Amino acid sequence: MNDTVAFWVVVISLAAGTFLLRSIPLWLHGHGPAPRWLKRLLRHVPAAALTALVIPGSLYVKANGSYDFAPARTAAAVAALLVAVRTRNVLATLATGMAVLWTVQALITVMG
Amino acid sequence: MSRTSRTARSMLAGAKEVSPIMVGIIPFGLVAGAAVISAGFGLAEVIGMSLLVNAGASQIAATALFAEGAPLLLVVGTALVINARLFIYSTSIAPLLVPRVGWSRLLLGHPLVDQSYAITMTRGRYRDDVDIVPYYVGSWLLLAVTWQVSNVIGALGGALVPSSWSLDFAVPLVFLAMLVPALKCRADVEAAVATAVAAAILVPLMPMQTGLIVAIVIGISWGAARYRERTSEEPAR
Repeated sequence: MNDTVAFWVVVISLAAGTFLLRSIPLWLHGHGPAPRWLKRLLRHVPAAALTALVIPGSLYVKANGSYDFAPARTAAAVAALLVAVRTRNVLATLATGMAVLWTVQALITVMG
Repeated sequence: MSRTSRTARSMLAGAKEVSPIMVGIIPFGLVAGAAVISAGFGLAEVIGMSLLVNAGASQIAATALFAEGAPLLLVVGTALVINARLFIYSTSIAPLLVPRVGWSRLLLGHPLVDQSYAITMTRGRYRDDVDIVPYYVGSWLLLAVTWQVSNVIGALGGALVPSSWSLDFAVPLVFLAMLVPALKCRADVEAAVATAVAAAILVPLMPMQTGLIVAIVIGISWGAARYRERTSEEPAR
């Protein structure tokens, strides 16, 4: 399977699965409430899933298949986290993270 | 007032009320579009993915994991875990929408995104002068157009940025910006910390990004366990 076909397989499976996640409660409405265990399990999904997507890219850079600790990225991510908590502003968070990353990378180049 | 004009007015009201929070999706759209291009694909993939999937965080995650060479099942599985919140939204918005529609309930799931859900639940439902279903659809239409346009701009612009700018770092930053408002209670924060520790250790150790999904499961379990502890202060049954 070439990459383009593989990517469309991902798009179509993800689209179908997401459509079902959005639609099933609407389709089943009126046939009794959703089970409590399901609601409890789903409650912390956003916090856990989004954290998992933040961490590897904030701590490591991948080089030749191995993960190397990346202090510049970690410093930038911590700064961005502080801005996100204070401002809740997406653009400010992005701008801070990128600016700190570039600054620290430049410092490392100059000093190294 | 005729029925059509009330429907049109309700759609416009939804679009108008969602427009302040619509601005917030533009940076995500730029990153999502640029990510698809840097993974080696073109505008057809950018536009097709946004039209069909219609859920930004999962699109960015799936594209990033795909580019890392993760197995397809893991790419789709992780992205679907991110979208599991839409199931919760759907459960809570159903009593508002379903009694007012017939067969179209089959399709009413697709317009359900974070922002259309939020505005319908916090504003639209309290207005007497609008019909809630067209209000909800109208808010989504504006969001969908904005999302699509910002994807295309990101795709065209992202290709021009040299890789020495480390623009790939925008992906974890975007998720960080989404994470902070998702931390609604102490158990959420604990779930996030548990996931962070697990991901930091497991992702480098486990093959092909499988550490990611294990870390998510650990975080969700931790959160669910801690949440139960608090509610068990209620009288025993």
